[in-house]
Amino acid sequence: MGKARLTVFGLSSMEMEAIQLSLRVALWGVAWSLPLAVSVAWLLARGRFPGKILLDGLVHLPLVLPPVAVGYVLLVMFGRHGAIGAWLFEEFHIEIAFTWRGAAIAAAIMAFPLMVRAIRLSLETVDRKLESAARTLGAGPADVFLSITLPLIVPGIITGVILAFARSLGEFGATITFVSNIPGQTRTLPLAIYTLIQAPGGEETAMRLVLISVAVALVALALSELLARRAAARLEA
Amino acid sequence: MLGAVFLLLLWPWTVIGQEKKEAQSLTVFAAASLTVPLQKITTAYTETGAGRVDLSFAASSTLARQIAAGAPCDIFISADKAWMDHLIDEGLITPENRRNLLGNALVMVAPLDSRGESASEDIQPALNLSPRFGLEGEIMAILGSGRIAMGDPAYVPAGIYGREALMSLGVWMNLRHRLIPTANDRLATMLVERGEAPLGIVYASDSHTSHALRLVAAFPQSSHTPIVYPLGLISDSAAVRDFRDFLFSEKASAIFTESGFQTIEFLSGNR
Repeated sequence: MGKARLTVFGLSSMEMEAIQLSLRVALWGVAWSLPLAVSVAWLLARGRFPGKILLDGLVHLPLVLPPVAVGYVLLVMFGRHGAIGAWLFEEFHIEIAFTWRGAAIAAAIMAFPLMVRAIRLSLETVDRKLESAARTLGAGPADVFLSITLPLIVPGIITGVILAFARSLGEFGATITFVSNIPGQTRTLPLAIYTLIQAPGGEETAMRLVLISVAVALVALALSELLARRAAARLEA
Repeated sequence: MLGAVFLLLLWPWTVIGQEKKEAQSLTVFAAASLTVPLQKITTAYTETGAGRVDLSFAASSTLARQIAAGAPCDIFISADKAWMDHLIDEGLITPENRRNLLGNALVMVAPLDSRGESASEDIQPALNLSPRFGLEGEIMAILGSGRIAMGDPAYVPAGIYGREALMSLGVWMNLRHRLIPTANDRLATMLVERGEAPLGIVYASDSHTSHALRLVAAFPQSSHTPIVYPLGLISDSAAVRDFRDFLFSEKASAIFTESGFQTIEFLSGNR
């Protein structure tokens, strides 16, 4: 995404930057965590294995822990000298800390439990008899999943995606602790608002950003509602 | 059933009434950079048998805003004049109850294992911080692909001094895109200690007390306005004045100096 030098709708370049960054971080965060969320939801809904409760607890940890604590753990693990971060940098030259990718990871992790819960709920309501019927007709497990299960849980996936996207747009504590507050890289809308209210005289611009955040969130939610209704209509057919 | 829910909702409010009984404890809001010495000083103070002192540390801007919004605080120690002036303008602190407590210096630091040397007390500057042609290149070479950790120059005093210093050295225009602006000075210190930032701009006191920082260079005093920590009283009582006087005492001064701060004797012409 290029930098917007011209003002659109009368927005300053700082505001455009924060909006673009917030959208990019939320979209990629949700996109990266979706396959994992579906897998984990499937494991929790259908799986029967030792340590399942542990997995369930682990998935829900970001909901329970203070976001700053999650951010700090991410910094320890993914920072330049962290266990995973150092390996990623040495092998693939991928930088996570202090980049928008890190912000996306932070948002994704905080939103993960919400996505998993929604998808898991949907999985649990799938009629297993439909799946067994497909198996008796000769379909392999992967085929059953793709042609029967997946279309049936699409509403749950959409709900999960909407929740995760909304949560990612508002993510603050983990982001500022893990990737700090760097304009253009990690200064998303919530962080930009925070910075503005710290300096005397920044309240007016902060209020503008709050209203912009509300507008962005409403548009995103309206679009996803539309998508959900379309998907539901197709299922009825 | 409804009665039970009603009682449950009311229950937290009963706790608030109990706070008024703790009349003896003082609350001090202080800049994050004073964490180490103030904790030692309050321990020493309570050991003399005086009342309890509660400390709250954050960036001076955050604290000033909380005080302006009515946070219960008795003493405010800011890391720069601007926020103290702001509270005096708001009428929360009277000018007579304001005094300068400490001074500090600004330094550039690096993580310790970048050279493997011990003791951060070696004042052998590896970088000559003066307005000269090759300075920016040398700093960029040390940074590589990394960034300089510094308090946010938009509102953190350490960052404001840092920006001033970098401007006077003629390197701000390009270096401002290579910063990690942190919410307070201690977070910048933490990032450098962890090696997440190859360089940091922090107070001399942070470099002095840390065992994981290497002093790269000291900013010349002329490159920024003098760093002063004003102290102001928000509430006035015998207990508050007693603690304030303790902060100016020899015992407290020794603790401040040990943490790398400059005490009031070193500052000239201050009141």
